[in-house]
Amino acid sequence: MIDPAYATQILINGVLMGLLYSLVALGLALIFGVMDIINFAHGDFVMLGAYLTFLIATYFLIDPTVTIALTVPLFFLLGIAVYKAIIKPVLGAEPLIQIAVTVGLLMFLRNLALAIFHAEPRGVPYTVFSTPITIGPITIPLSRAVAGAVSLAVLYIVHLLLTRTRWGIAVRATADDREAAALMGINVERVYYTTFGLGTALTALAAALIMTFSRADPYLGLLYGLLSWVIVAMGGLGGVVGVLASGLILGIIESFGMSLVSTGARELFLYVTFLVVLWVRPRGLFGRR
Amino acid sequence: MIKPVALLGGRSALYSIIAIAIALALIPLVLGYNMYYVYLAAQVVLVTTMVLAWNIIGGYAGQLDLASSGYMALGGAVSGLLLAFYNVTPWLGMPLGALTAAGLAFLIGYPTFRFGVKEVWYALSTAALVVILQRVFWLIYGSTEIYMPVHRWSWYHLRFSRYEPLYYMLVVILLVTLWLNIRIKNSKLGYYLTAIGEDELAAEALGIDTRRYKLYALLIYASILGFVGGIYVNLTSIVSFRMFDLWLGIVVAVMGIIGGLGSIAGVFMAAVILRTLEEYLRSMFGATIPGIHLLIYGLLLIVVGVLKPEGFAGFLKYFRRRLARGGSGG
Repeated sequence: MIDPAYATQILINGVLMGLLYSLVALGLALIFGVMDIINFAHGDFVMLGAYLTFLIATYFLIDPTVTIALTVPLFFLLGIAVYKAIIKPVLGAEPLIQIAVTVGLLMFLRNLALAIFHAEPRGVPYTVFSTPITIGPITIPLSRAVAGAVSLAVLYIVHLLLTRTRWGIAVRATADDREAAALMGINVERVYYTTFGLGTALTALAAALIMTFSRADPYLGLLYGLLSWVIVAMGGLGGVVGVLASGLILGIIESFGMSLVSTGARELFLYVTFLVVLWVRPRGLFGRR
Repeated sequence: MIKPVALLGGRSALYSIIAIAIALALIPLVLGYNMYYVYLAAQVVLVTTMVLAWNIIGGYAGQLDLASSGYMALGGAVSGLLLAFYNVTPWLGMPLGALTAAGLAFLIGYPTFRFGVKEVWYALSTAALVVILQRVFWLIYGSTEIYMPVHRWSWYHLRFSRYEPLYYMLVVILLVTLWLNIRIKNSKLGYYLTAIGEDELAAEALGIDTRRYKLYALLIYASILGFVGGIYVNLTSIVSFRMFDLWLGIVVAVMGIIGGLGSIAGVFMAAVILRTLEEYLRSMFGATIPGIHLLIYGLLLIVVGVLKPEGFAGFLKYFRRRLARGGSGG
């Protein structure tokens, strides 16, 4: 048997990563749930955000967490631009075409990063959150704790936005029935581009948190992209709670897999879980329909 | 008895296969038997074969499968490891590789289709499959590269000091895959698959056993890739976890889409043109701008998706119509 303190340590690591994964997937869940658009490039926005964080943090010599003041609004606008340019024309097109277009975007973004930064990873030199917290036998890196806490707070804020504001009601109505929502006087087009903008802005936030303990490299995109889809698949369209629960489950599975088997087996556990979930619960573990 | 011409799916199909066979046979001569160019030509033929195999599941049946590189690497690993560790000839290793790939495709495909995993979920599950295979291989063999034995000229080991023999073997497999594409397109299986690709619910309502035919398409596709994997490892001389390359799987699907789903000529052209372009760009800009060919693929894909969903096939159709009009004097 494994030592309880060690198990707690693994569990905490898993929960903290899981919170961050939920934040990464939240934008995708919103976009997919509301607009029914299949966005394969979601992870590459995270990658792009990580590079932008790196550039701003090293240019102004500021903490990566401060860069969000710049990157989040920028990504909101970027999301709207991407929506207008390439997502809008394929709304309602068959899934294969939507996938093709967003895979095209993914390849473009990833190789743009590769062309500019080449393959070597870039890390920010400095973050205020670098000291670990030690409680008895358990050590938590402060950067991860901050990332987890901020993720949880943002998930809660988005949950409030969706349930308590007029915008949130419009978004949920559009997700339920686009035509009926339009007939009720909801500006569906505005709901769409604000949702895509918000979904993209959230990736910039997640990217800044990732940069406090990890480095930017062109391969981040595929990892976080697939991961987000796994979470959306598990969460079904169960809203923020489904995303949070799925993210936590994946984070914990991954943490135990990495600690008890091999760090190289990370993706193995994620994707085997994914296949099983797809087979057993095609509508996700927390689907409401 | 069936006439050979009918077996090939019509006279024009027979002529095009013969024309392609002659053209491909002459390529090493045209390239002056330059080792490097013949190696590149072999790579182009290999990718074209992959895209044509993908066309059966992706183009006809409309299932966005991203695991082509996974099946090829699996077949290649079986054949290559048998050769490297047990001195088993690839002539046996290749069918075994095909069988292993088809076996895996069945194991994964059966539950996938049984539980109605479709569209984006199908694409993602196949992407996950490549990563899973890569991680499993990595857990067993680590990141060491396993080299194929060195022989000057051995048909038993399929190891040669030149690339022409492997090139011609790849050409034969390409022609067989092309023939299969044509045969399937004009058969009951092909009609069913096209119906599934266009509207799966409608196909099912018409009484087509969609699960069964999607599985057939997947098995044919995986077998071709598993078989060709044995030649691939002998071409590169290395078996390693890097063969399980999700990007290659994505690129194959991308070429199939840019070529125009289900269009044999379009897919063939897209694979040949894009793979050749890739080599050209790599030799021109590879050192300064890595991945520029993928950047261009990405842009092409966006343009095709937004403006011309029929892909190259749309342009082909346009030209054919223009030619026909020109021919009738109009």
